[in-house]
Amino acid sequence: MSLNPLPLSISRTGGCTLTGALSVTTGINDSVTIIHGPAGCAHHNFSLLHATILDNDCHIIPKVMSSGMSEHDVIFGGEEALMRSIMEVSSGDPGIIFVLSTCITETIGDDVLAVTQNAGVPVCMVPTGGFLGGDFEKGFSSALIAVSNLALPVHPTPGCNQQVRGSVNLIGEKNLEYEVEQNFMEVKRLVSLLDLTINLRFAHNITRSDINRLPLASLNILREPALSGVGDHLQSMFGTPYISSFPLGISGTLSFIRNVAVRSGLSPDEALDSEKEHQEEIFEGFSDLREALVRLTIPAENPEYPLITEISRAIGLRESPDGTVLPVPYPFPVGTSGIKRMLHLWRRTLICRAA
Amino acid sequence: MEEDSYMPGCLNPVWPCALTGAVTALSGFSGIAVVIHGSSGCYFYPATLLHHDLHSTFLVEQEVIFGTSERLVEVVKDLSRTYKKVAVVNSCVPSILGEDIRDILSDYNIIFIDSPGFTGEFESGYLSAVKDLPVCMGQGTDRVNIEGINLIDPFARGNQREAERLLQLMGVPVGTIFCHDSYESLSSTAGFSVTVNPDLSTGYGQELGSFLGLSAIKTTAYSIADRFCKAETRGIENELLMVEERITKAADKYLKRFDPPTAAIFSTCSYSGFAAAILQQYLDADIVYCGLRNEPQISCTPATKVTSLAIIESVIRELAPDLVIGSSFERSVAGDAAFIGLTPPIRGEFRLSSKPLAGTEGELSFMEDILNACMDYQQRKLVK
Repeated sequence: MSLNPLPLSISRTGGCTLTGALSVTTGINDSVTIIHGPAGCAHHNFSLLHATILDNDCHIIPKVMSSGMSEHDVIFGGEEALMRSIMEVSSGDPGIIFVLSTCITETIGDDVLAVTQNAGVPVCMVPTGGFLGGDFEKGFSSALIAVSNLALPVHPTPGCNQQVRGSVNLIGEKNLEYEVEQNFMEVKRLVSLLDLTINLRFAHNITRSDINRLPLASLNILREPALSGVGDHLQSMFGTPYISSFPLGISGTLSFIRNVAVRSGLSPDEALDSEKEHQEEIFEGFSDLREALVRLTIPAENPEYPLITEISRAIGLRESPDGTVLPVPYPFPVGTSGIKRMLHLWRRTLICRAA
Repeated sequence: MEEDSYMPGCLNPVWPCALTGAVTALSGFSGIAVVIHGSSGCYFYPATLLHHDLHSTFLVEQEVIFGTSERLVEVVKDLSRTYKKVAVVNSCVPSILGEDIRDILSDYNIIFIDSPGFTGEFESGYLSAVKDLPVCMGQGTDRVNIEGINLIDPFARGNQREAERLLQLMGVPVGTIFCHDSYESLSSTAGFSVTVNPDLSTGYGQELGSFLGLSAIKTTAYSIADRFCKAETRGIENELLMVEERITKAADKYLKRFDPPTAAIFSTCSYSGFAAAILQQYLDADIVYCGLRNEPQISCTPATKVTSLAIIESVIRELAPDLVIGSSFERSVAGDAAFIGLTPPIRGEFRLSSKPLAGTEGELSFMEDILNACMDYQQRKLVK
């Protein structure tokens, strides 16, 4: 397959902005998302979301509406079809209506923003444009920013800090990933070592009214560094500082605790001691893997390389060209619990190889 | 409740677009490289659905502005070195741009299918792709093509095997299999065809009938025997008698204990008709709703086209059938009802064997699923 690199650093295989945006908007349970385009675009994405909710044992089916754009609309313009869809959806009185544009409506030049502004009902337009608006990641961050703009602004009152001290927001959880709940539980566990709680999962299994809680946390924790634009936006909107990633790796998890503590004005010492002890107990449970010959196939320049070598050394594995290739899940496991699950995977791989 | 009253929008659409249909048909022929001329978003869905080696131009914005020809030639040139034929399937944006793809690729041996998503649904794309295949009708009166194989259909592999077995039982050689064969097979397709899914009949060869349902199998077998003097029908006749007897016996046993089920069926036209007929014939079932994914073609039972999961959910909630037949979309809104998977996608369960729907084995297998699902449902009701 030809994947000729472009002169610009654009990925050809980055997916569609619609999928990224939908993975955010459908995290708001009382919302309806209208995809302004042919029914096929909505089906492709709804089918993916449906498969994900089946995998995650979730029973809330997201509402994804297609404006049902036909060949006629492609020729004569699809704005009327969009307006009809908005009216139809608004009659059901959802918590919030989102509208996403597709590459087709971008190409034919429908003025989607004007339609949403003239609809006479509150509609949040997320600038997507299918692949003409970027890729999955772009759609994902655009949606987070668009949804965050729905939160009520914080009005500073002298002597009154509206922010809920001792709570954090999780920003941009990957709702399509299989282990999204496990990752949430791990971050919740780690911040609880500092007596912090989760104020809001933005945007996972929340309602329109929950979005108003977004400015109230004292710290935002982003799922990954690619969301730094979202972190900056939230900081400028609400003054909330952020940490750029969920914890990854052994020392990365300890740094995470330290950073959260410092940003929250807390002492990290007790939490760090507790977590170090927890990590050592886990590694002891895998002492049977010591001296096993393994081969790491991740390139040294890959950001995951130091994380893997650190774990490998902590267990006492030995690198060898004849060693067993160890699987590394994607996305990289979160926190100490993620490392433990990966070590079980490594043990199974080594046992299978030995057998 | 009818979808017409719900237009133009469609809440949670459950059926794929024409592009997916075209790609499904073409990817069934080994030796053809299927290129989706569009973005990665249009590529990923059929690729994950078909688990097949598909290709794409993976268009980006600057190619939409300055023209896609250079990129298209680059991809097709590369694939032409390793494949006998390259099929280019146009997606929505390049179709709107209106570039002359055939002219751009005039130096290459390609099939071009203009099947963007906005032109229709799965079946229209599938059939339009089949129509444009380089089919050469050979002498071919000594063989029979098999039609209606659709690789996203969970019964595709089983249907193909069952159709091949029945033709073998009659001593009739198999011609081209639409759409699961080699590219070479298109150069000498047979003059006759049978189908395992009448919704996807291609029009290549004289249609001799369907293997979907016992009465259709019987008629088709006689129709084949009329054209092939050496064709043997006794084996099939014996099988049909045996199958009917086994199903009747099992169904009678069920009806001794339980009332006939009320059933709501959600599938394509032919599969819905098949399911409704079998339920009515053996269990005297009451078909309370028949929702079609595609346009109604034959009227087996009062049917309505419905492709919105929101409408499907409200139908099931209102009619509260004992049995829901459909895809995993229907299963997620079926509540406590018994459920049988008939329509793609069927997720959330392991499917390793080649289960058929067509042929005598298909009839047995489907009836077995109905009886077991209904028995479980009745027993759950008793416990409650």
